[in-house]
Amino acid sequence: MTSRLLDGLRAVELCEVWAGPMAGSLLGDLGADVVKVESFPRNSMTRPLVSPLPGPGEGPVWERSHIHHLANRNKRNIALNIRSEAGAAVFRDLLASADIFFEGYSAGTVDRMGFDWETAHAINPRLIYASMPGWGAQGPYQGYVTLGSGLDAAGGHTIVRGYPDRPVEDTSPIYHSDATGALALIFAVMTALHRREQTGMGSYIDISQIEVLNWHLPAQVAEWTMNQRLPVRLGNSDTLIVPHGCFRAGGGEAGEDDSWVVVAAETDTQWAGLAEAMGHADWAGRGHPWATIPGRLAARDEVHNAVRRFVGGDTAEHIAETIRRHGAIASPVVAPWSILADPQHTHREWLQSVDHPYAGTHLFPGFLWRVSPDAPSWDRPAALVGEHNHEVLGSLGYSPQAIAQLQADGVIGDRYGG
Amino acid sequence: MTSIPRPLAERRILEVGGSLPVAAAAKLFSDYGADVIKVEPIGGAPMRRLPPFLGDVPNLESGAWHIALDTGKRSVVVDIQTASGREILGRLCPQADLVLIHTTSTLAIDIREDIRALARPPVVVVLTEHGLDGPRSGHIENDTSLFAWTGRMRQHAIAGEEPLRYAPHVAEMQWAATASAAGAAALWAHTDGQPASEIEVSGVEALTGNVDAWFVAWEFMGVEMPRVAGQSQTAYPAGCYPCADGYVVFAAANQPFFGRLCEGIGRPELAADPRFADPVRKPLHFNDFITVLNPWLRARTKHEIFTTLQQYGVMVAPVLDASEIAGDAQAVARQSFVERPLPDGQTAVIAGPPFRMMDGWEAGPPPRVGEHTDEVLRDLGYSSTERLALFRGGVTG
Repeated sequence: MTSRLLDGLRAVELCEVWAGPMAGSLLGDLGADVVKVESFPRNSMTRPLVSPLPGPGEGPVWERSHIHHLANRNKRNIALNIRSEAGAAVFRDLLASADIFFEGYSAGTVDRMGFDWETAHAINPRLIYASMPGWGAQGPYQGYVTLGSGLDAAGGHTIVRGYPDRPVEDTSPIYHSDATGALALIFAVMTALHRREQTGMGSYIDISQIEVLNWHLPAQVAEWTMNQRLPVRLGNSDTLIVPHGCFRAGGGEAGEDDSWVVVAAETDTQWAGLAEAMGHADWAGRGHPWATIPGRLAARDEVHNAVRRFVGGDTAEHIAETIRRHGAIASPVVAPWSILADPQHTHREWLQSVDHPYAGTHLFPGFLWRVSPDAPSWDRPAALVGEHNHEVLGSLGYSPQAIAQLQADGVIGDRYGG
Repeated sequence: MTSIPRPLAERRILEVGGSLPVAAAAKLFSDYGADVIKVEPIGGAPMRRLPPFLGDVPNLESGAWHIALDTGKRSVVVDIQTASGREILGRLCPQADLVLIHTTSTLAIDIREDIRALARPPVVVVLTEHGLDGPRSGHIENDTSLFAWTGRMRQHAIAGEEPLRYAPHVAEMQWAATASAAGAAALWAHTDGQPASEIEVSGVEALTGNVDAWFVAWEFMGVEMPRVAGQSQTAYPAGCYPCADGYVVFAAANQPFFGRLCEGIGRPELAADPRFADPVRKPLHFNDFITVLNPWLRARTKHEIFTTLQQYGVMVAPVLDASEIAGDAQAVARQSFVERPLPDGQTAVIAGPPFRMMDGWEAGPPPRVGEHTDEVLRDLGYSSTERLALFRGGVTG
């Protein structure tokens, strides 16, 4: 049985892509009854994504995308045309039954559907209503669209995290703000539950995903406001720590020519361990120029070259373990196949084997937290389109005949494309 | 208008360990009203030593991370490795609703055992790098080496070249936010009448398991996601593109965004052009499209491109640097950054609320090292003589 921490709470999700759907899965992991209201008849964006190949298995392509599966476990699914009058009526009933509603469209979209905060609050005064557009619900960028890569760029992260010796256009887009946005939503709605205890009423929450990212990057803006200095791209180096970097190994699980090890010695003690591991304990001995922090800073290139030579002499896994045993910091840069075979993950039974009617049986990442005594479990794989139309609408008081009529009228559905 | 207490005003949180992840995990509880007691080691929490510093002068009170993450907390300096220090911690725990711990695995397990023995134990969240059990339990990591275990470092590189981390400490911040979220849920459940939970948040699991975990692509399809770094030449435009005064980032490869882009740059016919409309042919014609797009971009600033194309619903954003972030129009209008006074009379700019709820957020001043040691020990019932003796014995500071 899955976690019961949020047992008894119903959350309604009206989100696409990653940040909002992931938040829904996390609420489901914690025991909430999460009802995902999926776009219909237009499919939601991640359903048909094929990247780089169509998903495995047979059947509708929109049921087999790993990008969709990853952020949609532990929910029920109804596919509903909210823009229709009958669909809006179903949605009103759903909101009336819920504790939490969260939406992740660009600001104003859900308002235009007729479900702004005031309307929802009138339907259900105890409802917690969270909007999480990329740029926030208010402001001059209201209505602007984005993915996580755009927020990373406007938040000042893209400009500092690429290769130091390459142009900005060689910096890979990342979607970190989806992960952080999802986590912020969990904290926000939990906070609003406390507020509901104070006041007896629901709250409106405005989550700007870029503002969430802002508080994860305090050093960027501080470099400028404190010292009028622009942070620069450092790659894997550190201005104040030598050695600190990522070095090519002489092979390993990731591939013969593509195996790497992160190595760092943040203190003199760690440096002494690393020096010993490299067979040169004297490099940390009294009088050696590299024995001190200023000495290593002054000899950055030489120290890094020494580490590079050492790391290149063995496999990533063996080198990392040798260094770690001597008390310094080291880890291999793992590849996807290493994650799936990782003894730590195996020991902790972290990866989850999940059966899906179309995609088949696959290993998925486990949960972000271990909870005792009631551990989360992957009770529901990503639901099929409209899989729970009858179950959810039935719980709202709709008769089988009424549900059948809604389906016949195209208000609800269980497949895309006719 | 009468304001109401912040939502977590009745809650007390204990932060134990002194690291960046545990300080970040406790921050939001403080900002939304909880009384957060930061238990620091003698000499102050190591996270106070993280740069940058005001005027480049290293100081335990003026580090950017401390200023940003310790907002509104109380600071108690206790050596919890000593018997006397553990007794102080033992008196603090029953008064807490939630204890956040990031120390060595051995000490964390010990503290958790002590808490289990309490008549009314609080919720406990233990942050660990790899977990409290398993072959890598107890391994030390830093922000970059932790990231290396997650698969993301490899994914964000050009194939065959050096893997890349995020900006310093960003990975740790995500781990911390994971602990915050789990702790908040357990705190709510406990408030709602459920027994106190014990939660463990492994940094590697928190990062590997969240939504940008690309190893699932490998598991599903047996192929690695392409590692091409910036500009995808198969699904385009996606990634960073130069313009008149810098760069913009596109995520406009798929419909309807590609069509909107074509319309926005005044070339609507390109959306239906078979070279770009056919996904099989599209990778062969990257240069054809870039030949059209690049001159349009280079004739405009990043903000012109951003505001113009957003009118067409194109997913595009400017690449901003640190000097531009706080002054960006949206950030100014929303007051996304706020200026806060420091104890020495100076001020600092920090991020505002990550989410807005009426009367919900306030970032109080960060505490000086041990600023609240004496008042907290007094409240715990330690006499004046005992407090002096604990200080004299090097247990408190």
